[in-house]
Amino acid sequence: MGTPWTRFVPASALSALLALGATACGSDESGQSGPESDKKITVYSGRSESLVKPVLDEFREASGITVDVRYGDTAAMAAQLQEEGDRSPADVFLAQDAGALGSMAKKDLFAKLPDAVLDKVPGAYRDDDGEWVGVTGRVRTMVYNADQVPGADLPKSVFELTEPQWKGKVGIAPTNGSFQAFITAMRVQEGEEKTKKFLEGLKANDAQIREGNAPIVADVNNGRIAAGLVNHYYVYELAKEEGTTVDALKAKNHFFPDGDIGSLVNVSGVGVLKRADDDPDVRAFVDHLLGKQAQTYFADETYEYPLVAGVASAPGLPKLSSLNAPDIDLDDLDDLEATVKMIKDSGLA
Amino acid sequence: MRRFLPRPTLAAAATFSVGIALIPLAYLGVRVGEAGWARITDELITARTGALVVRSVALAAVVTAACTVLGVVLAFLVTRTDVPARRLFGVLAALPLAVPSYVAAFVWVSTVDGFEGFWAAALVLTLVSYPYVYLPVTAALTGVDPAQEEVSRSLGRGPWRTAGGVTLRQVRPAVAAGALLVALYVLSDFGAVSIVRVDVLTRAVFTSINLGFDRTGALVLATVLVALTAVVLLAEQLTRRRGARYARVGGGAPRPPTRLRLGALRWPAALAFTGVIATALGVPAASLLRRSLEGVSRPGSIAELATAARNSLGVALLGTALTVLLALPVGLLTTRVPGRLAVALDRLTYLSHALPGLVIGLSLVFFGINVAYPLYQSVWLLALAYAALFLPLAVAAVGSAVAQAPPGLEEVARSLGRRRSYVLRTVTVPLAAPGIGAGAALVFLTCMKELPATLLLRPTRLDTLATELWTQTSVAAYAAAAPYAALLVLIAALPTWWLSARTGVPTRGGG
Amino acid sequence: MAELSLADVRKAYGRVQALDGVNLIVRSGALVAVLGPSGSGKTTLLRCIAGFEALDAGEIRVDGHRVATRGAAVPPERRRIAVVPQEGALFPHLSVLGNVAYGLDRAARRAGRVAAVLDLVGLAGFQDRMPYHLSGGQQQRVAVARALAPRPPVVLLDEPFNALDAALRAEVRRDVWQALRADRATAVLVTHDQAEALSMADEVAVMRDGRIVQSGPPELLYASPADPWVAGFVGEAVWLPAAIDGDLARTPLGAVRLTPGDGSLPSGPTRVLLRPEQIALAPPGAPGTVSATVARRDFYGHDAVLALRLGDGTPVAARIFDPAAVPPAVGDQVGLRVHGTGRVFPRSADPGPTRPPASA
Repeated sequence: MGTPWTRFVPASALSALLALGATACGSDESGQSGPESDKKITVYSGRSESLVKPVLDEFREASGITVDVRYGDTAAMAAQLQEEGDRSPADVFLAQDAGALGSMAKKDLFAKLPDAVLDKVPGAYRDDDGEWVGVTGRVRTMVYNADQVPGADLPKSVFELTEPQWKGKVGIAPTNGSFQAFITAMRVQEGEEKTKKFLEGLKANDAQIREGNAPIVADVNNGRIAAGLVNHYYVYELAKEEGTTVDALKAKNHFFPDGDIGSLVNVSGVGVLKRADDDPDVRAFVDHLLGKQAQTYFADETYEYPLVAGVASAPGLPKLSSLNAPDIDLDDLDDLEATVKMIKDSGLA
Repeated sequence: MRRFLPRPTLAAAATFSVGIALIPLAYLGVRVGEAGWARITDELITARTGALVVRSVALAAVVTAACTVLGVVLAFLVTRTDVPARRLFGVLAALPLAVPSYVAAFVWVSTVDGFEGFWAAALVLTLVSYPYVYLPVTAALTGVDPAQEEVSRSLGRGPWRTAGGVTLRQVRPAVAAGALLVALYVLSDFGAVSIVRVDVLTRAVFTSINLGFDRTGALVLATVLVALTAVVLLAEQLTRRRGARYARVGGGAPRPPTRLRLGALRWPAALAFTGVIATALGVPAASLLRRSLEGVSRPGSIAELATAARNSLGVALLGTALTVLLALPVGLLTTRVPGRLAVALDRLTYLSHALPGLVIGLSLVFFGINVAYPLYQSVWLLALAYAALFLPLAVAAVGSAVAQAPPGLEEVARSLGRRRSYVLRTVTVPLAAPGIGAGAALVFLTCMKELPATLLLRPTRLDTLATELWTQTSVAAYAAAAPYAALLVLIAALPTWWLSARTGVPTRGGG
Repeated sequence: MAELSLADVRKAYGRVQALDGVNLIVRSGALVAVLGPSGSGKTTLLRCIAGFEALDAGEIRVDGHRVATRGAAVPPERRRIAVVPQEGALFPHLSVLGNVAYGLDRAARRAGRVAAVLDLVGLAGFQDRMPYHLSGGQQQRVAVARALAPRPPVVLLDEPFNALDAALRAEVRRDVWQALRADRATAVLVTHDQAEALSMADEVAVMRDGRIVQSGPPELLYASPADPWVAGFVGEAVWLPAAIDGDLARTPLGAVRLTPGDGSLPSGPTRVLLRPEQIALAPPGAPGTVSATVARRDFYGHDAVLALRLGDGTPVAARIFDPAAVPPAVGDQVGLRVHGTGRVFPRSADPGPTRPPASA
């Protein structure tokens, strides 16, 4: 009877001391950064757990702030946040694409971010009103099966894909946010008429419709379709799942050259809900996402483009500066609505 | 003395339950109302909406017809013929119910080249939902009084004509009930139709939310599903002959039914049976196995798998308990106080049953934020969502279970000086327990499979097997996803097995 | 023990008037049989008394306290009226003990009421059996024991002996009768079996088309039915066309003395009611007899009924109590002689059934 007691008392005394110390440190820190810090934030993530979790863990360790994360589908989550309105438990929304962030901003749910945060990211990759900021860049690309498409046949422009030699060979995911952003950018850059023709051309050319980017890359890799329009990092995910390197895959990325709209740069990003406007913990979190550690992680582990200066993209990827950065608002919803209508009218969705 | 109203407490409780099931409709009403007429007509009166309705209805019709044929034929083979290995078949035939439609569709798409479109969707949906017909029809066929068949035979009708003219006629209510569930299930399904890419209303609802984050447009389209449900309910009502009740008349110990000799057809029938089960169960099993062996992504530790399984069980059990509790007054009302109110309440529980889980989820977000904030993102609100989704399954089971407990027993109990609540607790519920248990099993396995509402409403950081499966497949980590899918199917298979066992096929009579 | 009274009780299901103004008084401690063909409304009457159905009009009182009237009712659990349903309706998931103790409070259970009441119905020691282990007669006894256990002032029995075979029926009937007496409960027995009603009840109320057409002691009902229909329903009837001549009726069976104190005679053509046991057999051609031919012979063991045809074709029936001694065969000639008096009815009226009608 005595033994457990004698062991237990010092142990619990020690842990009590440790707990006290931790509390003391915590209150010290909150004293420095403002009275409202409760060392706890709630994040809604439309990005997958496996991609985001390491970054959140790093943040937790570095800051001592507890992060409650809900994972979900970006679009469904945007709808949920809009339904929740002012009473949302969320402090931060981490989204797959700019369109979802834009729809949130339009509903006036986001707080304006401080200039110091916004200035870390080039102007093209953030909201004009400063209500959201891009975290990582992803590039539209054509994935192709190296056995079926010889290097010489690779198109110079995405518009070539409506030509007869590509009939029935190109996979697209028209309901995907990144595809919509790409079409929106095309309308701005190339004009309504040309975009409409392009969509109709895809439809007439028997484009292969898929639900998302991952199934396109998988089908290209196993030869079911010859090529597809996707984001650049999906081949890396596939390589990881198959336990090999991207070089060993049949599926290869083709970046359209010369600033072709087919290699548009899109972003994933973050917005802060109004209720957390001046929550120091949330500030710290956004800073962390745009900090060197997180940006390096995204570059090296998810093969996305870091958006802050001084962090290099993964080797093997073309330089961000060599690609076509859109000079339009990725989140302009009125534009998006017209895009959606155009996609629906073309019969692709 | 007391004013003599037809059981006011029961009616009030039933109305409350149906109110829960109507939360999604109230939400649709609010949001669609905000949209304004111009927006509604813009969205609805288009050639595309017309095409969507036609395709949705066609898919529901084809799958319902196929499930009816498949379900009735399999049930008949198992209960009324000498097909080889009927006990084994009897259990296996119900198990596809445990396979979520999104898993089945995914498995087929990745196994068969060019597996897409209308007929692909029809195949997948038929394979996962025919047990909705098979189970009640098997139970009904086991319960049919063989005396009537014997009379038919003695009046000069051959065995096959007797089967068609007497036996199958008697199980019509069971067939209709199952077909209704199939039709509404097909209308509400998103998982399968999105994966095999057939453009139906549910997919258009999701597309609206994904394309341009257009919640309003999505909800306007969802109202079309409610309208279609109303039409389906009406049609089902019309197929029921008025006042048709096919109960076994008179007492006497139930005898095992007579079996038809298939003769030369015996082995072909067994082969066909094997074919159905191989496509419905074998293909998913083989594919999941292959996936987990081929890929290198690994699920988290066994501990993570166990946690997800535990969470799935927990929320599904809670959801089942709440659903059955809410179904009790409605089921009691329909059997004990039949009348217009009972019929209306019963039908109303079905009205939101064809809405996709995403819409139900959003409606409960709306309800949680505006009405029940303390419950928001707690397991309780998730349980409430399951209740709103699956109340009809439980109501139907409670109704037929309570019908098994004769009202005379309740009257005797009350004449002995016992209050209604005491009688309910000591007589009605114990007698109806097996039937209510069957309903609970059905609700439980459906809760286990549910994904979209679970994603929206689960407490933060609560992962279930279904959400983990979604997490892994969304980054193409199929090997990591496979164990979650397998575990999900296995756990859901347990209540399914029990359901098919209690129809009496595997336990009774020589096989 | 309580007096039960019903005044102008009405109940309709849709357009079917199940109870059409029922008046009935059951004296405290009496056993009244409600006798009627199926569909006459007797089960509805019982359900209204028990409180399972609401009244459309009229009222029901127990010991002067109103328990039901139009639109208001004491719920069944507060009426203290116990019911023994058809086929027992034992709770299948409870043992005999559980069934009988169902309506008892803890004190009564501890005081040994279950054993006492089981003893009363002749099932001592059956407490732990489950209902499906009991025979039909035993189930019915348990149902009675369950109803009597809480000592209800009123007990209702709904054709409780229907499901039992003939030999068992008499035995269970007797035991139930004794149990009811021992508890001095007021009892209403609903039945379509006239033998059961006449043999068990202190009073019989005959029901037809939702009304009580006649009530009274069994002997009175049998001897002086209010109308031809009741006459036929409570027993086998022989109808003879008659011409009235003072206190005699001239019939094909000869002159029959009329039952005295019958009030005014009907005008117009008349007929006379006899019971088959009033008609005795004699050798053919014996003086003072009318000869007849045996058309059918229904043998019951303790007695037999002969269907006969008179010379002019009038059908009559005779009950013979020693069939073994005089075995006339079909086609034999016999002589007939009438005992006792006959009741006179108008001939034009509903001839009345000689057997209980199939339905009403």
